[in-house]
Amino acid sequence: MLYISLAVSILAGVLVSHYHLLHPHFWWEELPVFSALYGFVGCIVIIIASKALGHHWLQKEEDYYEK
Amino acid sequence: MIEWFHPGLIYLFGALLIPVLKGKGKLRQAYLLLLPTLAFINLLLMSKGVLLSEGETWFLSFLGYNLTFGRIDMLSMVFAYVFVIASFCMILYAIHIKEEWQHVAAFFYVGSTLGVVFAGDLFVLFFFWEVMAWSSLFLIWYRGTKEAYGAGFRYIMVHFFGGICLLGGVVLQLQNTGSIAFEAFGWGLGSEYLASYLVFLAFIINAAVPPLGAWLADAYPEATVTGAVFLTAFTTKSAIYVLIRGFPGVELLIWLGAIMAVYGVVYAVLENDIRRLLAYHIISQVGYMVCGVGMGVFGTSAGEMAINGAVAHAFCHILYKALLFMGMGAIIEVTGRSKLTELGGIYKYMPITFWLYMIGAFSISGFPLFNGFVSKTMVVTASGMWHLPIIWLMLEGASIGTFLHTGLKLPWGAWFAREEPVCEAREPPKNMLAAMGITAFLCTLLGVYPKILYDMLPYPVHYEPYALGHVVAMSQLLLFTFVAFWFLRGMLHGTPTISLDTDWFYRKAGKKVIWFCEKPLMDFANYIDQHVMRMAGFFVWFSRNPVAALRIKGEEVRLTVEKPIANPERAEVYERALEEVHRRQPIEEPLVSLSLGTALLVVLLFIALYLIAIFIRGWFISP
Repeated sequence: MLYISLAVSILAGVLVSHYHLLHPHFWWEELPVFSALYGFVGCIVIIIASKALGHHWLQKEEDYYEK
Repeated sequence: MIEWFHPGLIYLFGALLIPVLKGKGKLRQAYLLLLPTLAFINLLLMSKGVLLSEGETWFLSFLGYNLTFGRIDMLSMVFAYVFVIASFCMILYAIHIKEEWQHVAAFFYVGSTLGVVFAGDLFVLFFFWEVMAWSSLFLIWYRGTKEAYGAGFRYIMVHFFGGICLLGGVVLQLQNTGSIAFEAFGWGLGSEYLASYLVFLAFIINAAVPPLGAWLADAYPEATVTGAVFLTAFTTKSAIYVLIRGFPGVELLIWLGAIMAVYGVVYAVLENDIRRLLAYHIISQVGYMVCGVGMGVFGTSAGEMAINGAVAHAFCHILYKALLFMGMGAIIEVTGRSKLTELGGIYKYMPITFWLYMIGAFSISGFPLFNGFVSKTMVVTASGMWHLPIIWLMLEGASIGTFLHTGLKLPWGAWFAREEPVCEAREPPKNMLAAMGITAFLCTLLGVYPKILYDMLPYPVHYEPYALGHVVAMSQLLLFTFVAFWFLRGMLHGTPTISLDTDWFYRKAGKKVIWFCEKPLMDFANYIDQHVMRMAGFFVWFSRNPVAALRIKGEEVRLTVEKPIANPERAEVYERALEEVHRRQPIEEPLVSLSLGTALLVVLLFIALYLIAIFIRGWFISP
């Protein structure tokens, strides 16, 4: 089910881009799989960058403010 | 025939009857629901033109100023509609609560927000602004926990500060322009814009713009289950409303908004408390609106798109965020737990709550067919129309994070994540489910049929959300976010930690300031105090009998000097003599006999000297 939807979304992206059905504001919007890549990479970057930030700086013990 | 009736007054005066109906069960519940219904009918009558539907009304003369309680136009109407509709759902969600004063606080909160929305001048704005802060405070304090008291206290302090900034700005504005009209403020660099800066500061504090927004994620998750649902809607969205009125097209807001959108997402990754995670997503979502206000330059098509987007997103956000808080509130209501590390596996007990929550999650993530999709993409498109590539990427990136947390991590961690349920659970009371059902229906309705929303927006809408390109791009974005989530889901378990935010400055650094005052500063003060007191004591001692005091001091000096040079067996004698001297008080010494005659002579001598001085002076000055 998931694989089918992934495939359909990519295929739709290729078709939409091929038939110029977009009104792009930026060049990357014309790439057929830009959103898929941005979603995938963006998600990984958000998780890893935030975790790193939290681990090294922001995250504290729960009683931090009571101490 | 009355010309107009203020919808906010229905809440404000209606609230006063709630305590009277204490213990009346069903009657009170009916009354609670009647008030928002009346307000809604009031708004419908305004839209239909039976009551005033455009213009200004309800003037009141106050200290020589003409106050305006009713400014009605497209912008105030659309905000009033969403506040009233949302308040109905929220009241339904809270209707089982027995504490009548909690209801009163909520009604005051809604009523004062409507007061802000219809305020035509800055005095009225300030008045309702303060009522809003006070009444919402009680929705936090009614939780009754130690954390709630602390968070509520910090909440009101921050809003006090904001209120004072607003008052200062209003007074300065009045001094500069002689007018209290609430129109767009002047903006630029320079001291002549001080009034604008102060008002701006007050507005962005309420909009929870970082670094001034830590109060939101601090206080909202500590509120009562039902109170938090109210809190999500009114303060931040009324701030968006006043920003649209006061500061449309201020470029600074574009950047603040885009940073906000990402900022909330980063914190949401780290958060363990289920409602605090959602609170960070309020900040993130309000970022889109703030960004939209910043792009809303008058008279440009991109600017109109941006303002429309900000308003539409505020409208949709109020609904889906209330729904999300209702869902998480339901978990807290039935399990008493609010941390991801203490939840999991309880889906089988509460599937209806889960699916209703998921409608909110799909909406906030901007899934096609749900309301977030039809509003969020307007703001993103506006950033495209302005050709702001970095802003566009930041806003799209925040969409990824939004789906990741509210759509995947949070429901997965709260309802699944473990094979065995961590605790017993059940569906929440019927009224809560009904409230969630209505809100979920509205989220879907606006997503499927956005025309209802678009027709209410302040500018004509030239935007087709379901253009093929939008739908495909959004589907790709969300589907592949899911793929990445599935790979990394092991990293997304909650951890029993809290995350530092800018409230650190008043929670930790503030404590250090107090420590500094209590320890080093007080020690220093005590030191000074002691020495000054000793000095003063000495003068008192001395002045009682100066002659005897001098004699005692003289003896003391003599003994102190003689002691070290005397032979050792005599030292003890000196020691005792010194102690004896220290004990002697001048007052006990016989007074030097100073007869009355002598005293009189001294006084006369002084007068004589004085007269001579005057004469000499006169002799010198006169030619």
